[in-house]
Amino acid sequence: MDEYVLLLLADSNLPTGSFVASSGLESYNTHGFLARPHSASLLAFIHDSLHSYAHSALPVVSDAHRLVAALTEPVDLRGPLAALMSLDAFYESITLSRVARRASTSQGVAILTLYSKAFAPPDTHPLASLVDQLKLAVRRGDTPGHLPLCWGVLTSVLHLSLDRAQHLTLFLHARSLLSAAVRMNTIGPYLAQQLLLRDIRPILDTLVTQCATISTAVFIDSNRDRPGTDELPLNGPANTWPLGEILAMRHDLQHSRIFNS
Amino acid sequence: MAQVKSLHAGQGRITCVSHGPSVVFTELSATYPLKLLSPKLAQDAVAIVYVLSYGGGLINGDHVKIDVNVKDATMLMSPIHEGSTKVFKTRPGDRPSTRLGQPAHTTPNVTTYVTEATVAPGSALFLLPDPVTCFRAAAYSQTQRITLSRDASLVLLDWVTSGRKSLGEEWVFSRYHSLNEVFLEGHCIARDIMLLEGPPQVKTAEIAQSQGSSRTLQDRLKPYSCYATLILSGPLVQDVVAQLDKLYQSTTVFKTTSPARMVWALSPISEGKGYILRAAGLETEDVRNWLRESLQGFEDIVGVDTYLKLFA
Repeated sequence: MDEYVLLLLADSNLPTGSFVASSGLESYNTHGFLARPHSASLLAFIHDSLHSYAHSALPVVSDAHRLVAALTEPVDLRGPLAALMSLDAFYESITLSRVARRASTSQGVAILTLYSKAFAPPDTHPLASLVDQLKLAVRRGDTPGHLPLCWGVLTSVLHLSLDRAQHLTLFLHARSLLSAAVRMNTIGPYLAQQLLLRDIRPILDTLVTQCATISTAVFIDSNRDRPGTDELPLNGPANTWPLGEILAMRHDLQHSRIFNS
Repeated sequence: MAQVKSLHAGQGRITCVSHGPSVVFTELSATYPLKLLSPKLAQDAVAIVYVLSYGGGLINGDHVKIDVNVKDATMLMSPIHEGSTKVFKTRPGDRPSTRLGQPAHTTPNVTTYVTEATVAPGSALFLLPDPVTCFRAAAYSQTQRITLSRDASLVLLDWVTSGRKSLGEEWVFSRYHSLNEVFLEGHCIARDIMLLEGPPQVKTAEIAQSQGSSRTLQDRLKPYSCYATLILSGPLVQDVVAQLDKLYQSTTVFKTTSPARMVWALSPISEGKGYILRAAGLETEDVRNWLRESLQGFEDIVGVDTYLKLFA
């Protein structure tokens, strides 16, 4: 079951809207940072982008996954829904680029739609109702519906294990960057597959090991809006690549562009 | 003062209120290695606090904590021109600030710097520190947590350099962690969390191979040697933000083959309740000069003479 779901979710035909996102790669290239040879430079970009993504978005995926996985029936959905919305608000508060927020929320709602239109069981089910209510909250504008949150919920609802969900999250980020690179004609499709098989794999393994336990709890559980909290969240989520962040923010300034982010 | 609490080493407390046209400090105290000075300013309703550390730097195990309260006033916090806040190398040892009343939660070998500020309605805080320069192997963590009331304004600058370039140090510190948290009327409008940390030390080439090609901090951050983040919110920043936004929106980037000397980006946060600006430059001076020119609109608020000193 687990493996079959994994195959399904890794399918590049999955309608998530990720093909319009380059996560800053297009802007990075336009600004003259993609040096020759392209393969080495591209790999460096993917490594740095994954590093930051694993430290910032992956903790939200993990926490959303854990939250849903911990639910036992019968479920009162108000508590879990509120907790998911706090997590969503947290990701909104650390995602300070308009371009990144736009890309994340458009893919997030696509994930929820994918679930309700394709994966939801035909009869009523508490987890399916949770996803429905989350989708409703996003539609109403009560919560932004960011990609890492929705992705964590989806993988958990489909009973993918946390470890596999974490690997898949980073794998898809890398694959999406490579597919953007191919569309930008930066590298060819064969080289892209070669990088994915040989070079990306150890990077993913290392990052999942490093970041699997990073949690948002230090921010969400400690009432940090009240002054006087002395604890420093040294090991919580963080952005680790300011250069990538600046260039991704500048996406919309490009004279011509083929991606949305 | 209603109550006078004793201060731990490296702690400071600042409370300022307006008193007619001038600003009065009802509290301004600090303990070693922190020092606070407040010279008189010509500008009405504006006060400045210079934040200094003895010896011009911090070493491992220093824990600085400053509490700030701004009521009905505009207050600036800035260093007297020291160039940068130096964070020296982590090494085992001790110094007075760590012996006396060190908070229990802190990690002994990390230098920490916490600024917590509350800004009352109609007041403003300009937090404009020097860039942080972490020396080789230094570990540093800072938090700026700002609580804004309605119609309070904030200018918060946070910048970091690659190290002592003259000694060949470029992004070779061990860890830099910075958190800027801004709350407006109880709602968090920004959590800017930056972690700059090199890869864990690997013993053999074999392990390095198995972990995937390692990327050092320098690999990730070059060619730039200074990164800055600026968070702006509230009525007093509107003119400057409008100017910056106009300049930013009118920029068109054509494909280039090599990185520019200076690069910056602007984005609204929390549905326009604030703005974030990020910039990077080949040299710290590039960023300093750019900031001085771009924020010149604040001259009208803080006074020309004071403004000149801010990015001197």
